[in-house]
Amino acid sequence: MQREQISALREGALASAALLVGIVPWGIVAGVAMVSAGLTKAQAVAMSVLVFAGTAQLAVLPLLVAKAPLWVMCATALVVNLRYVIYSAVLAPHFEHLPRPWRVLLSYITVDGVFALFAGRYRPDDANRHKHWYFLGGSLLMWCAWQVSSWIGIFAGALIPKDWSLEFAATLGLIALLMPLIFDRAAVWAALAAGGVALIAAKLPLNLGLLAAIAVGVAVGLAVARLGPRREEGSV
Amino acid sequence: MAAESWFVWALIAGMAAIAFFTRAVFILPGSHLRLPPTAERVLRYAPAAALVAIVVPDIALAHGAFSISIENPRLVGGLVAFALAAATRSILATIVGGMLALTLVRLLAG
Repeated sequence: MQREQISALREGALASAALLVGIVPWGIVAGVAMVSAGLTKAQAVAMSVLVFAGTAQLAVLPLLVAKAPLWVMCATALVVNLRYVIYSAVLAPHFEHLPRPWRVLLSYITVDGVFALFAGRYRPDDANRHKHWYFLGGSLLMWCAWQVSSWIGIFAGALIPKDWSLEFAATLGLIALLMPLIFDRAAVWAALAAGGVALIAAKLPLNLGLLAAIAVGVAVGLAVARLGPRREEGSV
Repeated sequence: MAAESWFVWALIAGMAAIAFFTRAVFILPGSHLRLPPTAERVLRYAPAAALVAIVVPDIALAHGAFSISIENPRLVGGLVAFALAAATRSILATIVGGMLALTLVRLLAG
């Protein structure tokens, strides 16, 4: 490694250090919630390493406890992860010159916070040849913090009595993660519509109520966005 | 109570594939596609809708029936968590406060 690469790596890690305050407690909660929802320690460790997507991990746990079918949980993980498709489109031009193993690694390791830092710092046409080291530095720090804090939660969670209902921490964590996603008026209406339909349709088999709620929520969000393209435009 | 082992492993495999695919979809082929604004909106609203659709039944239903009552510990815990999330934006405060409210209602109702 050249000196510039090391310094970009370090710079990315330092800039991302502020995100540790958020990711460490969240990782611990995810770890505790996974074992409280019935995963073995090995399964929980495998999930945090292989999936490495906290929101999706937390989102499937209430469904796992409620004995939802496999395809419904996978569909939910897909929908929750759709925000990564946006990140992927934004990041692609930055990384297109890199060899394939690099692109595989950077895809796997993308997280919200580092994406936001990176996208705020580098324009797509920025010719800086070491910017992927900056991304890697921040992402590696987040990856290590996520794994270690998850393992702490997994091993602590196995010691906590069942009747503390700590699997409910997954639902509470989703509430915290929801706030930054409700970023404009249309998103608020999308969320309200989804919540209403989810309640009304809760009795439908195969958790179809969940999927109906997502579809109606997105449709309402689009309709509101189309009706009133006013001052909230362009946020986030 | 715990789901069967093969089922959980299949879930982990499926989620791992999905998590990688959604992140790699443009990075891996090196695509230069600009997402149209409508597509970007759908991709933004869907996760919010999904999270609400998971959370709301989990806190407002008990044994499959509406349970809008101060004696429903999950509803009280969830509403306290909503208030804390909106006020503090802190994941830790949201979860700790919500769990405390849940426990308090259980002790008082117990």
